[in-house]
Amino acid sequence: MAIDTQVAPTVATVAPEPRGVARRVRRATPAWRFLALYLVVLTVFGVAPALYGLYQAFIVTSAVGGPTFSLVQNFSDVIGDYRLPTASLHVLLYLLLWLPLELVIVFGLALAIDAKRTRFAALTRFVAYVPGAVTGSAAALLWLFMFSPAVSPIGPILSALTGKQTFLSDQSLPIVLAVMGISAGAGGWIVVLYGALTAIPKEIIESAVLDGASAWQIARLIKLPLIRGYIVFILVVSLAQGFQVFVEPTVLATGATGQISTTWSINQLAYSYATDQSNYGRAAALSILLLLVCVGLAVLILKKTNFYQVGER
Amino acid sequence: MRAGMTSSAGRNILFIATIAFFATPIVWLLLAPTKSTNQLSYLNPLAFGSLSQLGTTANNLLSYQNGIIWAWFFNSVWYTLVSVSIALVASIPAGYALAKFRFRGNTVILFVTLLTMIVPAAALILPLYLEMSAVGMVNTPWSVILPGTFYPFGVYMIYLFAKNAIPDSIIEAARLDGASEFGILMRIFVPLARPAIIMIAFFAIVGSWNSFFLPFIMLTSANLQTLQTGLQALVSATGALGGGNLSNIAIHAPEVAFATLLSILPILLVFLFAQKYLAAGQAAGAEKG
Repeated sequence: MAIDTQVAPTVATVAPEPRGVARRVRRATPAWRFLALYLVVLTVFGVAPALYGLYQAFIVTSAVGGPTFSLVQNFSDVIGDYRLPTASLHVLLYLLLWLPLELVIVFGLALAIDAKRTRFAALTRFVAYVPGAVTGSAAALLWLFMFSPAVSPIGPILSALTGKQTFLSDQSLPIVLAVMGISAGAGGWIVVLYGALTAIPKEIIESAVLDGASAWQIARLIKLPLIRGYIVFILVVSLAQGFQVFVEPTVLATGATGQISTTWSINQLAYSYATDQSNYGRAAALSILLLLVCVGLAVLILKKTNFYQVGER
Repeated sequence: MRAGMTSSAGRNILFIATIAFFATPIVWLLLAPTKSTNQLSYLNPLAFGSLSQLGTTANNLLSYQNGIIWAWFFNSVWYTLVSVSIALVASIPAGYALAKFRFRGNTVILFVTLLTMIVPAAALILPLYLEMSAVGMVNTPWSVILPGTFYPFGVYMIYLFAKNAIPDSIIEAARLDGASEFGILMRIFVPLARPAIIMIAFFAIVGSWNSFFLPFIMLTSANLQTLQTGLQALVSATGALGGGNLSNIAIHAPEVAFATLLSILPILLVFLFAQKYLAAGQAAGAEKG
């Protein structure tokens, strides 16, 4: 009976839960009581600001006269902005580089660390997490130095690659951000996946060992399918994060003035509408377009993978 | 046997490469405060400067504006503690209820939760600011603490854990024994979900500690700043990261590196504490009792 106690969302395909008396029952009242506080914060700090932002997207700011209402003006202005295709291309390149690399590294390392829980494995897990604690201005300083050939520990590699004293540029930024993203993010996901892996019942692994499976086979044929559900989760969350990349290019640009455009990413463009041009309507419109793309992709991924099975199992 | 040997060697090579990739920037950061600004560029990047230089760096930083960095540090600590506590009290019962009760609106709440997780932060900041200013909370600690109590990621993780790792039969058995729903949550689910709860608490602490834009927008008084926004203010006020440092304030790259170290230290301590629990104690076998 230990078999239905896993963390992995896809476990149903391996060991279907027994149906019968022990099904959850309809008990609505305690559910709402348990949800009350969360629903309050969800409404006040999640849904309400989002709706207000949505409303702003239809308010057009113009140089002369007061604000006017228009369903399409802000959206068409934003789509027509010559900077949008460039920013989109930048972000797309970054995502194409970062996401596959991150998934391979995260799953590969989590499985390798779990395969045999040696001290060296635990040390690796710890060290991989440490850079996750360095963000914001801290990360900016650190990576500015890491990508400055003169002082960087990998300086010779950087100079050999470019033959120049500067490495940071609009073109190299997707690579820089992918490296930064993996450095700051992979450790956290490894912790999540490792938690999921340790929740796999020992019995399953032991019987596989008795059947003569190698560590590699166990990882690939038993553990990986059990934690496969997390691929979708990581992908959806990372996709949203990546599309919205903002802080890193912004702070890198302040440290490497002139080398990186201040509207490198889509979100930076939205921010520049709000701050440089005091045009919050356009900023909101671009945010909504960005959100629509993220949600569209998320729904597509979730649908394709049947991630939601609330009450179906 | 031979296959086992190669696979373990391969594993070790993978681990060494991993450690090299993740640790190099951190080692550089640890060594940077021991060097002067000049030494940073002419010494080997991974060389140790001197202890006396480290003392100078620490003194420069800690005496900046009469030690305001300590105020920032304690602000970060208490904003984080209050915010994360409320976030957990809201998220744990919610995630549990979403996974274990069937009711109208279940799927809608889950969907909205996932949706709010991917709303661009830039789109929420101004509305949040207007909300806070409407209730007169801008430039108070609450303007940072309260929005931080909204933690959809935590709800989602608890939901996934409750749905997949806690069998309905345990809950059903407790109900038959006459336990109240609240009693089941507190005495059965929470102990079983301890690894998941510690994990989301850990990520909440990290997220709150590192939060930048919210305090950046909400707080204007220097003594209300967090370590993150304070660090940024320090860098831009002193021009320590390039740009001209025209002032005679002794804040340069080594001091900023030292401040960075101070800001990541608590997170590392929390991680050391949490990682014991992250791996230990699973729900597996709970049913055997």
